[in-house]
Amino acid sequence: MHNKYSLNVNKISKRFGRQLLFRDISFSLVTGDSFFITGPNGSGKSTMLQIVAGLQKSTSGDVSFFMDEKKIPEDERFRHFGFASPAMNPYDTLTAVENIMFASSGIKKENIDEMLNLFGLYPHREKHVGIYSSGMKQRLRIILSMINSPGILLLDEPSSNLDSEGKDIVFSAIEKLREKTLVIIATNEHDEMKLCHKGIDIAEQNY
Amino acid sequence: MQSRIIKNLRKDFLIEFRNRSALNISFAFAGITTLSVSLACGGASLSSQVNAVLLWVIIFFSGMSGLSHIFIREEEEKTALFLSLCSDPENIYLSKLLFNIILFACITALVTPLYLFFMQVVPVYILYFISTVAAGSLAVSSITTILGAMVAKAESRGSLFTVISFPVMIPVLWISIKLTADSIEGGAPPEVRSILFLLAFSGVIISVSYLVFKFIWTEN
Repeated sequence: MHNKYSLNVNKISKRFGRQLLFRDISFSLVTGDSFFITGPNGSGKSTMLQIVAGLQKSTSGDVSFFMDEKKIPEDERFRHFGFASPAMNPYDTLTAVENIMFASSGIKKENIDEMLNLFGLYPHREKHVGIYSSGMKQRLRIILSMINSPGILLLDEPSSNLDSEGKDIVFSAIEKLREKTLVIIATNEHDEMKLCHKGIDIAEQNY
Repeated sequence: MQSRIIKNLRKDFLIEFRNRSALNISFAFAGITTLSVSLACGGASLSSQVNAVLLWVIIFFSGMSGLSHIFIREEEEKTALFLSLCSDPENIYLSKLLFNIILFACITALVTPLYLFFMQVVPVYILYFISTVAAGSLAVSSITTILGAMVAKAESRGSLFTVISFPVMIPVLWISIKLTADSIEGGAPPEVRSILFLLAFSGVIISVSYLVFKFIWTEN
C-alpha cells in the first residue's frame, strides 16, 4: 500500500532584493493530483518549485508536507520527493550507473538496469556523464528523480532538450506515476500542462 | 546517516582520483617547494624556527589549493543541487570534512618526511613533533572546510577565501610553528597544553560549523 501525501503551500512570496518575484501563492494538493506551475520567463516557476522542495527559502509564507496526515519535518523532506531540473547537474566524472547508485537508497541493480533500459540509456550506462548529449543528461535527470519511487515528484521543464522519442518516454513514465504520486511540473510547454489535472499561472495567480 | 556519509565520501574520492586536479596541484607544490628550499640552502644548517616556518609554509600552501576546492567544485559544476537532494546538510558537511582531513593528512604525510630528509632535520622530541603536525593539520582542515563552503556560496570566490581565512588561520599557524620549532630544537620539555589547544580549537570549529552549515548551504 502506498503512503498518502499532502502538500499545503500557504501564501508564499519571494523577493530578490527589492524585486518582488511573486506574492501570496497558495495551493493544496494530495497524492493523485498532478499540478502545473506556468508563467512567463523570469516569473519564478523554478524558484517556486525549489521553495516547495525546501532548496530555497521563501521571503514569507510556508510550505508543509504530510505523510498519512503526519507532518514531515523540513530536514527529512528530501527523502520523500524526487526532483529534476535543468539547473541540477549529475556528476560529469561519474557514469550513469554511479550517479544513480549515489542518488538511490538501496535500489537493486536490476531495477537500475530496468530504468536505464526504459529511458534508452542502457547502452551508455558505463560512459562518463560528461560526454552525454544534453538530451541524454535530461533523461538521466528524470531517472534520478524517479529512482527511489518518491511520493512527491517535482519536475522543472521535464521535456527540455528531449527529442520526440525522449518526450514520449518521459510523458508515459509521468502518466504511469500520476495515480500514486503527487506530481508538480513547472513548465511553459502545452504538452506538459496536459499531463496535469490543474495548475496555476504564477504571473496571474489564477488557480 | 553513516551510509550516506560513506556514499558521499566514496563519490568525492572517485571524482578526485579521476580528475586528480586538487591532488596533482598539492603534490606538485609540495615536491617542488621542498626540493627548491633544500637546493637553495645547499646543505646549510637552518635554525629550528626557520625550519618550522618553512615546513608550515609548504604544508599550508600545498593543502590550501586542494581543500577549498571540494565545495567550490560542486557550485562551479552545478552539482550542488543534486548533492542537496541526495543528502541532508549535516551529512554533506561531515563527509566533506572527512575528505579534507584525509586529503590533508596525505599531503602532510608526504611533505613532512620529504622536508626532514632533504633538510636533514631530526626532531629531538619526535612524538611531540608528529602530534603537533597532526593537530595543526586537523585544525587547518576544519577551518578550510567551512570557509570553503562559505566561499562556494559567495560570488567573489578566490579573493574572499584569502580574506576570511586570514584571521582564523593565524592563531593555528602561529602555535603550530612554535610547537614544531620546540620539538625540533629540544631543550625545555614540550608543552602538551598547546597541542590540546590546537585539538580544542578544531573541536570548536567543527562543532560550530556542524550547527551553522545548514544555513550556509541552503539558498536564501
